Amino acid sequence: MSVIRTDFEGDRGALFLLALKTGALTLLTAGIYRFWAKTRLRRWYWSAVRPGGAPMEYTGTPLEKLSGFLFAIIVLAILLAATNFSAIMTSVNLLDEMPAVFTTIVAIIPLLTAPFFFYARYRARRYILARTHWRGIRFGMEPGAIGYAIRACFLMALTVLTGGLLWPLMTFRLERFLTDRTWYGNARFTQHGGFARLYGPLLPFLVTFWGGIALIGYFLAQIVTMENGVPQLPEYVSSRTETWPLWTGILSILLSVLCAFYYKVAAIGILASGKTLGDGIEFDLYPRTRRILKIYFFGFHKTWIASGLVQSAVAGLIFGALWLGGGFSQEAIQAMILNPPVNVAIVSSVLTFLLLRLVFGVFWHTFITYPLIAHLAETAEIHNPELLNGIRQRDADRRMDAGGFAEALDTGAAF
Amino acid sequence: MSDAAIRNEAFASKLALTYAEFFDGVSPLRQRVSIRVNGDALELKNVETHAEHRWPLSTIRTLSDQASTEAMTFAPDDVNPARLIVREVGAMRAILNTDAPLRPLTGRRGGFVRLGVMATLAAACFGGLLFGLIPWFAETAAARIPQEAEVLLGQQQYGLTYGRQRQCSSPDGDAALRTMAARLTENADLHVPLTLRVVDLPHVNATALPGGQVTIWSGLLTAAERPEEVAAVLAHEIGHVAHRDPTRAQIRVMGSYGMIGLLFADTFGTATAAMVGQALDASYTRSAEADADAYSHQLLIEAGVSPDALGSLFARMEQQYGPSPDGLASLLSTHPAHADRIAASRDAAARADIGAGTPILSDVEWAALRGICTAAPAADGEGKG
Repeated sequence: MSVIRTDFEGDRGALFLLALKTGALTLLTAGIYRFWAKTRLRRWYWSAVRPGGAPMEYTGTPLEKLSGFLFAIIVLAILLAATNFSAIMTSVNLLDEMPAVFTTIVAIIPLLTAPFFFYARYRARRYILARTHWRGIRFGMEPGAIGYAIRACFLMALTVLTGGLLWPLMTFRLERFLTDRTWYGNARFTQHGGFARLYGPLLPFLVTFWGGIALIGYFLAQIVTMENGVPQLPEYVSSRTETWPLWTGILSILLSVLCAFYYKVAAIGILASGKTLGDGIEFDLYPRTRRILKIYFFGFHKTWIASGLVQSAVAGLIFGALWLGGGFSQEAIQAMILNPPVNVAIVSSVLTFLLLRLVFGVFWHTFITYPLIAHLAETAEIHNPELLNGIRQRDADRRMDAGGFAEALDTGAAF
Repeated sequence: MSDAAIRNEAFASKLALTYAEFFDGVSPLRQRVSIRVNGDALELKNVETHAEHRWPLSTIRTLSDQASTEAMTFAPDDVNPARLIVREVGAMRAILNTDAPLRPLTGRRGGFVRLGVMATLAAACFGGLLFGLIPWFAETAAARIPQEAEVLLGQQQYGLTYGRQRQCSSPDGDAALRTMAARLTENADLHVPLTLRVVDLPHVNATALPGGQVTIWSGLLTAAERPEEVAAVLAHEIGHVAHRDPTRAQIRVMGSYGMIGLLFADTFGTATAAMVGQALDASYTRSAEADADAYSHQLLIEAGVSPDALGSLFARMEQQYGPSPDGLASLLSTHPAHADRIAASRDAAARADIGAGTPILSDVEWAALRGICTAAPAADGEGKG
């Protein structure tokens, strides 16, 4: 059985420069260049990933992204206005409870946007696939964003209500929904298997999360007294009360966050091995949780150091310029550093804010996205590649919002 | 190698051949092709099947922003998915040495038309919502909101704005303030009763919140030289109450909640959104301020007070703090320029022709009002400042 592996070829320094250049232009153009920046960075990453030595290609364009974004904000602005109006009308008509009702509605709005979030994610994925080529053949995805949003909301609610017990069901069903609608040329991807296999990697999470809850519950049961059927916390905790269940419980819940991360990484590998393309091309992906955690840890570390340097550099630049060009005495500058005048404070904080955003973006690309993609690419395997030769081209999929909804809602997509 | 071999043309052209990887855009099959520049086209020939492709040099595109420099990818034009991946230096040189323009691949043309349509629609939509529908809705809702709801809204706003400030109150000071308000509102037709408060804040300011909640900052009482100057500011705020400006503004804020954020979701975040929001707010309110000024002139004249009291207060403030912002900064300013307001109040005074007018408070009352924050504080004073 033959296998092709994936190379990752790309110079980190070149990526750093590209991210810096496009990030700076984005700042200088009040954000308009971000559609160009996103396109160029995607092109770069895609071309670095080379399954079987042939680079992937990203063919999306900045103009279609900008158009799609404008389309999305038109739709969202109208929906938002309608939501706001109905919130006001509801609150104005319910006299006595008005402020409470208004705050409740404002609090519910993020929940109401959840379906849009999933809708946007599906559309963004569809757009990206339609603009991805490999070996001259297009990927593609069928429409289905609304169905995906409905399923995602329902499964998410189930997962939360069961305290994570049905998390694998959500992971698997949503992945199958996406995979079964994905195409390479005229060949369709299929997700096989079931959600039961995901319980293995979920077990550490379930144990630490529910164990933590049980421990904290045990601790509370010791100290809480019932008064007229209402639980009451005591004024002070007796020194004889066992406190170990409380702190082990809290530790356990903190640990469960790491376990959740492990689950998500392991699920990627398990789901990948259950996918096929066309008549029997199979896949494997072996992401390592430890490796990914290391990437995030050291990536953040470098980003923090750079951010600190930026802050001192901005302060140095401003006060240096005032000293050299402004004709201020050294004492005056020292006084200004301790107690900056409003103008200087505003200029330096705006400058720092903008530069921090720039540095954060550049470092994120260079030290987190880059190694993450390299790691995923290098662990990928494609089995039975000779079957690829039976695949034929598919038609281009043009009419789309080009990820505009995801852009407007800032769904935090990786690219 | 002998001379005879080199003179053999077929062999020479074979030597000049270079090879590349080719994907025809129909199947993902990897093809090995020989490449040769022939006139104004690049000829690609499959080494096994001998199938040929001709790419006109003028339309050949290169891919930009590529991660690896070890290979170059070429496309026949902007839409054809076929790709040529060149790794050999000789082959690369063969293509680069032609006079092909080798423009970067940009994808399908015509994006500008769609972009233009979308930009126009988006501008129309945001303009229509922010300057049409939302203000109209605020106007309608402010006129129909039940009084109880308006008062509740105002109380909530008061809590948010002044909840942490010390409220000043003294029996004589409160009485003086009530006298002043009663003189001013004698002929005014207000839809809600006024709730007057003085807070201990050092700036020269006063605000009106929904439901007739008017708040005077103690800095105004200190800066005013005569009670008529306070009355002029109070009349201005009463103008806002009569026009339901605070309620309208509040509903407008609720109605446009989150809308500016859509435009700047990713890149600039809340800072830019807040600034644009402020400019937008300011554009709504500057005309409302002018209307409130006009209304206040009327109230003052009816109460027998000359409207130029507002002018004299502002003129003194300009002397002290310099003129109000001009040019670009005035776009962010919620009020019209001081100079315009001073001129308007003097005009109104000249037209009314009531001279100095009747004093609105007696000297004793004025002293009580000025001392409202320093007199024995009322029971609820928090003892700040």
